[in-house]
Amino acid sequence: MRSLARASLSAFRVSLRLRVISTWSYLNWLVFPVLFAVVGLYVLSRPGAASSHVVYGVLGGGLIGYWSVAYLDGGNGIQEERWNGTLEQIFATPTRLWVILLGKITGGLLFGLLAFLPTAAIAYLGFHAVLPNLDPGRFAISLGILTFSFFCIALTLTPLFALWRWAFSMLNGFELGVYILCGFMFPVAVLAPWAQGVAALLAPTWAVRALYASTLSGGPRDFVVWWLATIGLSLAYLAGAYFLYALVERKARISGQLALA
Amino acid sequence: MAAQPAIEARQLRKTYTTTRGIFRRERVERAALRGVDLKIAPGELFGLLGPNGAGKTTMVKIFTTLLLPSSGSALVLGLDAVKEQWALRKRIGFVFGGERGLYWRLSGIDNLRYFADLYRIPPDVSRRRISELLERLDLSGRERDRVELYSRGMKQRLHLARGLLNDPEVLFLDEPTIGLDPVGARELRVIVRELADAGKTVFLTTHYMFEADAICDRIAVIRDGAIVAEGTPSSIKTVVRDQGIVEFEVVGMPVERLAGLRRLPGVTSVAISEHELAQVVTVHCARPAEVMTQLGVILDGVNLEKVSSREPTLEDAYVQLIGDSQ
Repeated sequence: MRSLARASLSAFRVSLRLRVISTWSYLNWLVFPVLFAVVGLYVLSRPGAASSHVVYGVLGGGLIGYWSVAYLDGGNGIQEERWNGTLEQIFATPTRLWVILLGKITGGLLFGLLAFLPTAAIAYLGFHAVLPNLDPGRFAISLGILTFSFFCIALTLTPLFALWRWAFSMLNGFELGVYILCGFMFPVAVLAPWAQGVAALLAPTWAVRALYASTLSGGPRDFVVWWLATIGLSLAYLAGAYFLYALVERKARISGQLALA
Repeated sequence: MAAQPAIEARQLRKTYTTTRGIFRRERVERAALRGVDLKIAPGELFGLLGPNGAGKTTMVKIFTTLLLPSSGSALVLGLDAVKEQWALRKRIGFVFGGERGLYWRLSGIDNLRYFADLYRIPPDVSRRRISELLERLDLSGRERDRVELYSRGMKQRLHLARGLLNDPEVLFLDEPTIGLDPVGARELRVIVRELADAGKTVFLTTHYMFEADAICDRIAVIRDGAIVAEGTPSSIKTVVRDQGIVEFEVVGMPVERLAGLRRLPGVTSVAISEHELAQVVTVHCARPAEVMTQLGVILDGVNLEKVSSREPTLEDAYVQLIGDSQ
């Protein structure tokens, strides 16, 4: 058990190191979130815009950056291992793939949290946007539960990318879909009814709703329901992941798809 | 071979299934291994020779638990590579040729520490072993440099260090000297021979006949997924025992003269390779002296240089074995 924890911790450290020296990861946690935040804040800060929506500008860019890094660590991370030729190497060790990915994804999540720093700085310094009604306790719990949901999604999607290369081609589509469906930059209520139905099945939708509610004074405040919905859906994803990993360990050995060949 | 074999394949088969066509997709099956039987004794340095696509890498991947066979069994140290992969992975090491398979943006020592943790080696053991391996594989002093700054030879030695981290009883090396310069390849061959002398079982695949001839205790030649010859390098050479080789260089030899050479009694094959502006002609024959006396007649008027006769090598035997199928 101890050696498994050490293997996962080692994967966590390697993931962080690779992110720190990767130019691409700076685009995800720094450049893109700042761009989204600036555009969002510019639109939402104009005279006549609802003041309650400014929070979407303050937090939206950070959420996008956080999701991008967390998600790409799962999807792109496994593809990077394939390109490096290291996917077979780690697969053939006595440590199960999910233990290694658990460490890698946790590293990505920690790095992804950085995305909130530049967007908060831009909001405060560039647009004088603050969150006067912030409830720090509920905000922290919501962010923690959101992190758990990101973790579960990344852990579930990663075996798909390891197993089926075609799944990787859907990477960008799913990344953008979650921005929109989970209400990162605007409320889910503005979406078409069918899209709201899809959004309800995505765990981050409920955590994001709780996160925004914790920064506002009015509106619905069903925090416990939202948190439980996020946790429940995330656990359902994890249950799916359990079967996916078993499938990966068998199918990859039949098809030999871990190599770049 | 009374003791339990270190590596054993029984009727090992692997068939890859793929599809072709865009609108009417058709399933295509390609056999990579066609019922291979093999036994390798503990401490043996075994070489598997064969052309590209013959099934060498497929066999290594099955033994290293990366691939499942379609049928048959693959045993390493008495453990089933299909069902007992977790126990087996702790006791084997593998190195694939080429530069990939390392984290280039991390240092050499960080790569080794990471894989040591994935092999679940206790920290005190891994610290000592990494230090020993860096020293032994001549990487000391450069271990904190990023791998991207390493030469190809250093990368390959780092690969080998990674493959030895868990002090494996059996080491699989898939074309480990591919792309290395002659000095780097020779150094690696010396290390591999030392590992076998120290008691490790080594399964080596290679394209290079002289490499197999120089270091392997026993070799097998694989062709189209089947073993076509197996034995010591000298016993494999007996395939061409009754033959001699005549080689000569010519410039611009007419094709009809080649046909004349092929018609000579005792000639089994004639091969031509380009060498700068000249062609090197290699004649496999039963009676080299007779061929040499006939050369002057057949090649009358052709600029003939460097005529020589030599004993057949392992490469000649390999060409004969592989060539029979092509």
